[in-house]
Amino acid sequence: MSMYQSRDVEVKVDGIWLEREAARERKEEKERAFLGFFRKLFKHKGAVIGAVIIFIFVFMAVLAPWLSPYSYDSPDISSVLQAPSLNHVFGTDEFGRDIFSRIVHGSRISLEVAFIAVGFSLVIGTVLGAIAGYYGGVVDYVISSITDIAWSFPTTLLAIAFIAAMGSGLQNVIIAIALASWAGYCRVVRGQFLSLKQREFIEAARILGMSDARIIFRHILPNALTPVVVMATLELPKAIVIEASLSFLGLGAQPPQPSWGVILDSGKGLLGQAPWVSFFPGLMIMLVVLGFNLFGDALRDVLDPNS
Amino acid sequence: MLKYIAKRIILMIPVLILMTLIVFAIFYFAPGDPVSRIAGPNVTQEVYESIQRKYGLDQPFIVQYHRFIRSVAEGDLGISILQHRPVIEMIKERLPVTLQIGLLGFVITFVIAVPAGVIAAVKKNTAFDYLCMSGTLLGIAIPTFWLGMLLLYVFAYKLRWFPISGDGSLRQLILPGFAIGLTNAAITARMVRSSMLDVLKQDYVRTARSKGLYEKAVVYRHALKNALIPIITLMGLRLGWILGGSVALEIIFSIPGLGRLMVDSILSRDFPVVQGAMMVLTSSIILANVLADILYAVVDPRIKYG
Repeated sequence: MSMYQSRDVEVKVDGIWLEREAARERKEEKERAFLGFFRKLFKHKGAVIGAVIIFIFVFMAVLAPWLSPYSYDSPDISSVLQAPSLNHVFGTDEFGRDIFSRIVHGSRISLEVAFIAVGFSLVIGTVLGAIAGYYGGVVDYVISSITDIAWSFPTTLLAIAFIAAMGSGLQNVIIAIALASWAGYCRVVRGQFLSLKQREFIEAARILGMSDARIIFRHILPNALTPVVVMATLELPKAIVIEASLSFLGLGAQPPQPSWGVILDSGKGLLGQAPWVSFFPGLMIMLVVLGFNLFGDALRDVLDPNS
Repeated sequence: MLKYIAKRIILMIPVLILMTLIVFAIFYFAPGDPVSRIAGPNVTQEVYESIQRKYGLDQPFIVQYHRFIRSVAEGDLGISILQHRPVIEMIKERLPVTLQIGLLGFVITFVIAVPAGVIAAVKKNTAFDYLCMSGTLLGIAIPTFWLGMLLLYVFAYKLRWFPISGDGSLRQLILPGFAIGLTNAAITARMVRSSMLDVLKQDYVRTARSKGLYEKAVVYRHALKNALIPIITLMGLRLGWILGGSVALEIIFSIPGLGRLMVDSILSRDFPVVQGAMMVLTSSIILANVLADILYAVVDPRIKYG
């Protein structure tokens, strides 16, 4: 990657390569790296199993209205607390609602919250980390100190504190998770910037008079993103679990929203008579977390053979 | 050495101060009027103002924070809005149970994770190793509070070995302790295994072997001690996770611990209690991390103190 960045600069400096040829070469190289990456990923057992699990859940979330045989929120007095059967594969809850349909719709909440929250924390952490690593000095000191403290703050507790003050609800859950988990990205990106900004191609870009913003976003950031992507993949399952636990505690999604945590909460009091109400949503959380963990670990193995 | 410990403790102070600032700010900027939170919505202007003065709520942020941090330093965490009792008293009642669950969780973690990790490392790439590592994958993925519900269902509802809801005895702490211990053991066992594999590659292990020591002596006397050093840091870091996880477990097992107090207070909007509980939990986590760092330095002679 870096070689091509520097070649790109040389093209502009003394025209050794024709621009077009350089561009073609760069494109080929990228394609080759891309294909190699996928080939390795396909050979990795964990990656394949993880990807399949993730795919199933995404599929479930996207097609929820078509996949669920019953409504997820209208009660049915004639079928209260039925054990799993052919009619209701995961059984029904105390209002006669089909657990399977609720779980299918719940996957939407889980994935949405996780992706948005992780997206936010990734952007916050990456921008702060980039600024700290690129500029150094006092800016770096201030950002790094704040990051260290945010890092030592336990995520779940910080999220609970935020919700306690701002009120429950999914929107606040997303903000809480984002605010509680950006520090990891900041640390990683800062480290990457510290080492990358010393490299020749950045030196060259600076000599050519490029603006800081251009150097940061066009030249350093693309080279610093690999560990961030791995980290984000492994943060998604954590966000899913935090959303479920907050909703379980009554601080996140509210009934009758079909969040997995809400279903678990309603199953808590029914454990003696209807254990299926709490069994299946928990199983789903475990599976989706397993999927993301397997895929994330595999991604790290493939992208970063040194770690 | 003493210099290092002193430095580590001094460095902790700004972290603690910033932590109190964050916790204070979160509740300061909470939507809603703090006076009506204390006095209720319908009060006369005079009562309103007297409460505002009494709690210093008419002062600017920095003055209020200064006041708050001073009373915290004196061990005063404010008064509960609902129960009209000092928050510190309520926390003192609830904290021991939460700590007991956490402690039990740590013990179970060690009892499971250390042997499993060591054996998996020694018998690398055998069936036992694969079994262990697959087990840890599941253990990491399983939500602690759901595992708690499963344990409650099997051992309390079906087998009737344990009480279904809190009866105040120590016995009721066993299942939540296991829920924490089993999930925490998964991540710890992985760490023990990789740390052990690292150590077994070291020169001094080769020396021990080449002087003809039994493999058992090499593993347990020489390698294990060194392999466990990184686990100390991990344990310090896991305390926050354990205390966070204990919140939901206390609800499931109806145990009157600090986590339950916190959730009840959040739902009834009793802010001083939430704030106080948060203060105690976060500062104990920061303290634990510093202690882990110091312990690490004490047991690992390779670390330079400076």
